[in-house]
Amino acid sequence: MIALISKEDMVPFLQAVSRKMEVVAPVMDQGTPAYVTWKGQPLALEGENPLVSPVKLLYPQREVLFRYIQECGSYTFEEPEQKARLILGVRPCDMQALKVLDSLLYPEPTDQAYQNRRRSAVIAAVSCVDPGVGCFCAQIGSGPECKEGCDLLFTDLGPRYLVETFSPAGVLMLKEHPEFFTPATRSHLQEKERLLKEAREKIVQARPWISREGMAEAIKNADWKSLGERCLSCGGCSFICPVCHCFSIYDQGVPDGERVRCADSCILSGFSRMTSGANPRPDPGQRLCNWYLDKFEYTPQKTGHLGCVGCGRCNRVCLSAIDRWSQEVLK
Amino acid sequence: MNEYIPLQAEITDIDRVTSDSYLITLQILDDVEFDYRPGQFIMVSVFGLGECPISIASSPTRGRLQICIRRAGKITSGIMDSMIGDVLGVRGPCGNGFPLGTMRENILIVGGGSGFATLRGLINYIVDKRDDFGEVAVVYGARTSQDLYFMQEYKGWQREGIKVGITVDVGDESWTGNVGMVTSLLDKIKISPGSAAMCGPPVMINAVAAKLMSMGFYRSEIYVSMERHMKCGIGKCEHCTVGPYHVCQDGPVFSYDKVKDWL
Ligand code: SF4
Ligand code: FES
Repeated sequence: MIALISKEDMVPFLQAVSRKMEVVAPVMDQGTPAYVTWKGQPLALEGENPLVSPVKLLYPQREVLFRYIQECGSYTFEEPEQKARLILGVRPCDMQALKVLDSLLYPEPTDQAYQNRRRSAVIAAVSCVDPGVGCFCAQIGSGPECKEGCDLLFTDLGPRYLVETFSPAGVLMLKEHPEFFTPATRSHLQEKERLLKEAREKIVQARPWISREGMAEAIKNADWKSLGERCLSCGGCSFICPVCHCFSIYDQGVPDGERVRCADSCILSGFSRMTSGANPRPDPGQRLCNWYLDKFEYTPQKTGHLGCVGCGRCNRVCLSAIDRWSQEVLK
Repeated sequence: MNEYIPLQAEITDIDRVTSDSYLITLQILDDVEFDYRPGQFIMVSVFGLGECPISIASSPTRGRLQICIRRAGKITSGIMDSMIGDVLGVRGPCGNGFPLGTMRENILIVGGGSGFATLRGLINYIVDKRDDFGEVAVVYGARTSQDLYFMQEYKGWQREGIKVGITVDVGDESWTGNVGMVTSLLDKIKISPGSAAMCGPPVMINAVAAKLMSMGFYRSEIYVSMERHMKCGIGKCEHCTVGPYHVCQDGPVFSYDKVKDWL
């Protein structure tokens, strides 16, 4: 199904949806766009992708896996419940990141905590017609167009959005709110294609040396020693990455309490250190190399998908200002 | 079902193994089948302290679940401070275990330090199914004679025709046996090439593997049980990776040719 919605109608549409479920959308928050619970603020759907990925709403940096409650020496367990919500404004790169996480976390034994959140969310993606300067999704194959995975897809056509449905949940969303939508035609789809073609060219021009096929060779040739000397092992790149999913687990509370999962990073020096003190990856260069190998070799072997979606966020947070997608690094 | 929610297990017995390690018997309280293979491990929880991987030290043939704990960190200390009747969390069994179906009849078992716990499960399994195996030898080294695990069991193994060689790094007046690396025992015990099962520190594994290959063992038939930092035990958290493998799922037992570069 395809339809149009005018930009003025977005607020009443979201208001109608938010009467039934939580709506999360990018809005300006202290000068930068961020995904928050929408309460009528102006939307920030254009421009550079928000620094914190909406993937972190479905795979949070801290979440309760279950509660343990002690009674007469033995325990009962309670799982947190997930409420339905609409997440609006997810970019194609982040949609692809969800696909990679699905392929890693769904296979048996399934990560139930992730699956529960994922299944309770309706996702309205947006085509990336106005990509950021650090993006290389086109080279990686994850953008700027979204081809699958979402429930709805919005494309900015100036005064209005083209809306395409990708799932029964998406169709339902339009059918439940017919007052906001008007029919779209083939010419609207053609306009979308034209905008995305321009976006694609812009992205490729910025970093023409990046290619999926070239990565294995680039990793082989990279100078891990000097990169390791520059890397501060802060883990920022992997905490911000929508695909990185390393985690730690800890308990909070006795005798009753919560078992909590929190984000962790293979870039941190103690990540693989064992109780004995032995550390299989003691060197920052080794850890950085492992990070690339995991994204471009091990994850593809396991899932058929790259472990990077080309969003460029890691570069935006690197404390040492390493441009890890530059020609100097990817020789 | 939420994979992170553990079963509950009651501590039914605690035996002192050395001055700083206990053999703990667990009884699963939930109404489930708990079946395991030698070489697998479990994730053990002390609620409030957390969870860590512990290898299973018993053989499934004996209908008991035992773990051998040495005070090392927060959680192992928490387990050691528990008493009979206390309830721990247990997830698992995790990992692959030794590939008994593909191992040869002749088996050499080499252990170093606390890595011997997982091998005890394998040895007792072999003892209980003695007719399925040929020549079996156990070579085990610890730091001192006080650190040797399961001393009372060696005689029983020998009675089943298993060769047992024991060595310590540092001897003392009370010790009349061998002093030196486990490799020094490999010459003294006569063994024919077959499959090998090993668990111990990486230096030991590399030295023993080199020695075994010179004796005619194939590197693909030398099985190593690896230790790594683990959080989830189900291949999700990425803490235990070695190259493309998850030690918690693809391992902990690997053939030496697969993991030699990452030991
Ligand atoms: S590695 Fe960097 S560019 Fe690739 S998905 Fe992660 S944050 Fe984005
Ligand atoms: S322990 Fe989490 S992936 Fe192996």
